[in-house]
Amino acid sequence: MSPLQALDYGLDPDRVTHTDSPLAAARRRLGGRYPIDPFGFDPHLSDLLVPVVTAVVRVDVGGGEHVPAHGPATLVSNRGFGVAEPAAVTVAVRRATGRRLRVVGASPLPFLSGLTRRLGAVSTSPRDLAGVLRAGHLVAVPLAPTWLRTGAGTPPLPLMQAMTRAPVVPVAVTPGGPLGTAIRPWRVRFGEPVVPDPGDEPGDPLAAARLAEAVRDAVADLLGRDRRPSAGTIAGEARSGRGPDRRE
Amino acid sequence: MRILVTGMGGEIGTRVAQYLEERAWADEIVGVDFVPPRRRLRRAEFRRIDPRDRDRLVGFVEDYAPQVVAHFGVYEPASRMSPASAAERTELCTVAALSAAVRGGRLEYVVVRSGLEVYGPRSYHATVPDEYVMPAPASPYGASLLEVEVAAARLRRRHGIPVAALRYAPVVGSHVPSPLGRLLRLPVVPVPACADPPFALLHPDDAALAMVRAIERRHDGPLNVVGPGAATPWQAVRLGGRVPLPVAPPLWGAATRGVEVLGAAVAPHVVELLRHGRVGAGARAVEILGLDGLRSTQQVLRELFEWADVVPIVPAREAVA
Repeated sequence: MSPLQALDYGLDPDRVTHTDSPLAAARRRLGGRYPIDPFGFDPHLSDLLVPVVTAVVRVDVGGGEHVPAHGPATLVSNRGFGVAEPAAVTVAVRRATGRRLRVVGASPLPFLSGLTRRLGAVSTSPRDLAGVLRAGHLVAVPLAPTWLRTGAGTPPLPLMQAMTRAPVVPVAVTPGGPLGTAIRPWRVRFGEPVVPDPGDEPGDPLAAARLAEAVRDAVADLLGRDRRPSAGTIAGEARSGRGPDRRE
Repeated sequence: MRILVTGMGGEIGTRVAQYLEERAWADEIVGVDFVPPRRRLRRAEFRRIDPRDRDRLVGFVEDYAPQVVAHFGVYEPASRMSPASAAERTELCTVAALSAAVRGGRLEYVVVRSGLEVYGPRSYHATVPDEYVMPAPASPYGASLLEVEVAAARLRRRHGIPVAALRYAPVVGSHVPSPLGRLLRLPVVPVPACADPPFALLHPDDAALAMVRAIERRHDGPLNVVGPGAATPWQAVRLGGRVPLPVAPPLWGAATRGVEVLGAAVAPHVVELLRHGRVGAGARAVEILGLDGLRSTQQVLRELFEWADVVPIVPAREAVA
């Protein structure tokens, strides 16, 4: 059992079950009756902000069936500068599986650190990443940012050793509008999980390097497919029988 | 098996003795402390010895020649004594009891009480430190706990005796004299104005059970023993129906002096908890010691606040008049 599953107040730290009415939410906040996890994540506050985020960051989701419905996994995605891609992946995961997503990359600045952790961010520490995975959560690990969101960046090598203990799902996030603009919904496409070799020792640096290359290639492949009209457009997906799950 | 429980007069030490009395393998249980046990014990024997009376403590432990030492002679500053007195008693009790136990000639295993305070404020390297994170205490209590661990580890190095250090999250309960528990039960509680970091707690019964399980399973090495989940200062204050008083970083000195006037002494490690949080990864202890039913931090807090307030009783003469 995950240590977090022992928490109460009717809120599951891993899965969205229900949302309070505004009055009930205000009462809950004032009374202090909400769970917090050791990393500082506050699922109730996160639920309160989700409607705002989903209104601002609209997404098309593809390949949602590749995101594990239970248990730990790492989601590795491309990104540009800013927080648009992590926010899009968070909304997409929530829509595809109903699960909450932790995102590696909590701000190190004093006040922002606490705020981002409240919303599910964890530090870029291998120990923290291993701890979140051990607790059975989904964690998003962005690749290094690329200018103009043109491709898959460098994998975060210091974190890869911690990622050898759970499946890794490649994710491609592309802006829906022309020239990288977000006029249309973001396209979030999940690829087939890259499962670490069972023969590798958890934490083996060579296995981690191999995994990093495999995941980067998988993300680049997904991005390439997304940009090729025959395979990446919705029409192309319809031909392959893997269209976007839902669209908001 | 002959077991010595140092610090048996404390809430957790007494509870450990009670748990040991239920175990058939614990043939002889003897405890020492400068205050008597807090509950009735059936089989365990108690000797009232102040750790500052070093010769008496050493003589008694050496004569008893324990096979196992459960070392609870670790005193938290501002719980029952001043910080200086707590550090002195902790050092004297640790050095005297452990060295005398070795000289007794039968020592097989030692388990010591430690705390998450050894990790210091959370670092960028690990927000939730596990047992592999290098301790770097920043408070006098954290340094005192680390000295206890180092003194115990010396027995492993020199004599090959397995030693476990249980790094407890702050132990808070209705009957535990804890500066954090006392502070949280004040009507107005100082909280950080610009932060709200998470901290974890541990129920006293779970702390005692972890110690007994460590003896049963003879674990060697440090283990974090932490209640699941966490709470934050602002949340804890609201949960207890108290009023939060936001304190800016430069004003913590004045705030702690004000709180002391209200009747709750605040030690530096408590201020460190409020300002920087205190959590730890406890999964290894759950697995190794089989601690599946640990009470969550929120449960520990609720139990603390459900404990009745102190109500002055009207003297009988006034009532008659």
